[in-house]
Amino acid sequence: MQELEQGRSLWDDALSRLRKNKLAMISLCYLVVLIIVALITPWIAPYSYEAQDLILGATPPSSEHWLGTDSLGRDQLTRVLYGSRISLAVGFTATSVALLIGVLWGTVAGFLGGRVDAFMMRVVDILYALPFAIFIILLTVVFGRSLILLFLAIGAVEWLTMARIIRGQVLTLRHQEFVEAAVSMGLNRWQIIRRHLIPNALGPIIVYTTLTIPSVILLESFLSFLGLGIQPPQSSWGSLISSGVETMEEYPWLLIYPGLALSITLFSLNFLGDGLRDALDPRVSKD
Amino acid sequence: MAILEVKNLSVSFYTRDGETQAVQDVSFSLEAGEILGIVGESGSGKSVTCYSMLGLVPMPPGKIVNGQALYHGQDLLTMDEKSLRDIRGKKISMIFQDPMTSLNPYMRIGKQIMEAVQIHEKVSKKEARERAISALREVGIVDAEKRVDAYPHEFSGGMRQRVMIAMALATEPEILIADEPTTALDVTIQKQILDLLKSIQAKRDLTIIFITHDLAVIKSLANHVVVMQKGKIMEEGEAQQVFNQPQHDYTKKLLAAIPTTAKSFPSKVTESTPVLLDVHNLHTTFTKYSGIFFKKIEQEVKAVNDISLSIKQGEILGLVGESGSGKSTFGRSIIRLIESQSGDVLLNGVDLTKLNAVELKTARRDFQMIFQDPYASLNPRMTVFDTLAEPLLTHKLATRQDVGHQVNQLMDDVGLERKHLRKYPHEFSGGQRQRIAIARALALKPKLIIADEPVSALDVTIQAQVLKLLLELTDKHNLTMLFISHDLSVVRFLCDRVAVMQHGVLVELDETETLFNNPQHSYTQKLLSAIPALN
Repeated sequence: MQELEQGRSLWDDALSRLRKNKLAMISLCYLVVLIIVALITPWIAPYSYEAQDLILGATPPSSEHWLGTDSLGRDQLTRVLYGSRISLAVGFTATSVALLIGVLWGTVAGFLGGRVDAFMMRVVDILYALPFAIFIILLTVVFGRSLILLFLAIGAVEWLTMARIIRGQVLTLRHQEFVEAAVSMGLNRWQIIRRHLIPNALGPIIVYTTLTIPSVILLESFLSFLGLGIQPPQSSWGSLISSGVETMEEYPWLLIYPGLALSITLFSLNFLGDGLRDALDPRVSKD
Repeated sequence: MAILEVKNLSVSFYTRDGETQAVQDVSFSLEAGEILGIVGESGSGKSVTCYSMLGLVPMPPGKIVNGQALYHGQDLLTMDEKSLRDIRGKKISMIFQDPMTSLNPYMRIGKQIMEAVQIHEKVSKKEARERAISALREVGIVDAEKRVDAYPHEFSGGMRQRVMIAMALATEPEILIADEPTTALDVTIQKQILDLLKSIQAKRDLTIIFITHDLAVIKSLANHVVVMQKGKIMEEGEAQQVFNQPQHDYTKKLLAAIPTTAKSFPSKVTESTPVLLDVHNLHTTFTKYSGIFFKKIEQEVKAVNDISLSIKQGEILGLVGESGSGKSTFGRSIIRLIESQSGDVLLNGVDLTKLNAVELKTARRDFQMIFQDPYASLNPRMTVFDTLAEPLLTHKLATRQDVGHQVNQLMDDVGLERKHLRKYPHEFSGGQRQRIAIARALALKPKLIIADEPVSALDVTIQAQVLKLLLELTDKHNLTMLFISHDLSVVRFLCDRVAVMQHGVLVELDETETLFNNPQHSYTQKLLSAIPALN
């Protein structure tokens, strides 16, 4: 007996399409390995992140120190590995926060329209106008310094652009006939937002997400520079790069390796993002 | 002597899905002063044929595989880009389908016409302006001296198409290629534009290629007709010949697909049939505000102005009117997609306008809508299965486990194969998509269906199939339908009674045949006389 055709969700289809995109799959593998390495760093790092060797000082890469040492004689490989923990955590957490608030805020504003929309978008405008550094300093003064707070603070700022982009998308989608059809079928607002509006705005959401992660990672180094983020001997890619820049001419390896780590990660994120965007759009191509 | 001669033209498009032969071995010739009609459905290659002569087909993916297009003996296809530019827009001009998008909204229309002239001729600004004004006057723009400085948005659709024609004529071309120039226009405006083209043609002895999907339009206009299907010429001949004694099966099929007759099977509605929908004094007004927090009323448009009508169980009521007449707003107001200001809408005695949000959600099971554009009314990211299952699951008429059975039933009902359930909307043709949309509307077994121009985006042969399907389904499920359309012949074919709307007001309502044979209101008479007739 022939089985009844069952519906498969957009995500099932997307996954099978994504598997056929080699570049995206390689990027995905790289990111998975990176995350695993970041998680087990304390057990695999060749040195302690605090260990200094002032007599050794800055040395170029060698068999003992694969990526060289910095001017205090700290092992660069260890610092890059520990840095990945902070950078990835900041990158993903803050972006998720931004994504969650931004998408919901933007969709609700765009879909409801009228005064609700005007009010919600003015809130966004006011937060935009607030100088970012002062906002963070205020938060730190009130709540004290903590990593969680740093994540939340960055996320709380990055969602603004996301909300604006999504609102624009939803405004054009809202008057499409398939949304009207959904209303006339008796779907409630939340069902329409979840099933009809957000899936059709996924393209820009994904692209903007892959752009947000790197900017968040760099933002962390700026905050660390202000003394609000993490402090040496702890490290992050952002802080390693900004200190590497200062000694670029004497000790180039201090800039090159954290820079490479960051760039490769960003490349993979972009490839994966592009792959996801294409995979989630059934119109792009038939396989 | 032929002014333009196309010989064995073949054009292909190369995409990752392989080669598509858009035009295959097409030959025809055009005598000076004649009007050639090229007819075909979407995808027949009628536009590509003309675009490729003027180098307007994007290459790649397009490629001219073979053939010649001789304009006064010169081959347009092998000509260099510069010489072609001198001919294109100067000797051979074009008018496009959509007058809303083919004019630059940021430029005064006079400037746009002057630009067309100045590109090709060395004339002074003053002279170009004179030419623009006289071209506008020629196409019937009143007060051309003043209107020349207006922006496109200050003109209506029909007037914009006149401006487009003026622009094409300003360079005094020999050949005018008109690509579906009246398709986006209302029927009364269409008649005006066709009359205008005819009179200009006679006055200037212009040669015209008129591309259209509508046989009736071409009948009143063309001397010579070419019928195309899937890139090939099916039939070619004198207009009289093709219309009166079509030789090819496809031409016969096209002619037969045009609804010309009255409704074929008798209505089941009698005196005693109960009324399903009763609308009393419905008003829907759109108010334009300025300011967001402190609103100030700027302008009020009465889109639906005091309309009362009733539809009986099992009846199909046609609602006709031109764009802006408020017919769509009326349909949407009934089912509360748009909120009305006052009036009652009684469905089986329940006043829909008084329902609160929760009651309305439940009540929506009883009335569904079919939309005009099957490309926009289906969510592109949902499979057909999900689209059809959604209303059933929302109203808890099925569970995730047993919904498949009902979905399959719906596919059978609208004549689609079950194996297509896993596909997405973009993988279907327009007609198939409209079938999916109809299936979705039927899923909840509604009592009333509001169909808003459900066949106007479809080709004529597909339109005939969908109309037949609608008739079968209303019969099978005992549906009641409000059928909104601008196409009077479709309405005549389908509906039991017809209502005519103009500027938000109901001007006439009568039995279909009575209304068609003996229209009372002057507006109805005007509408009926504007239909391009086949016989």
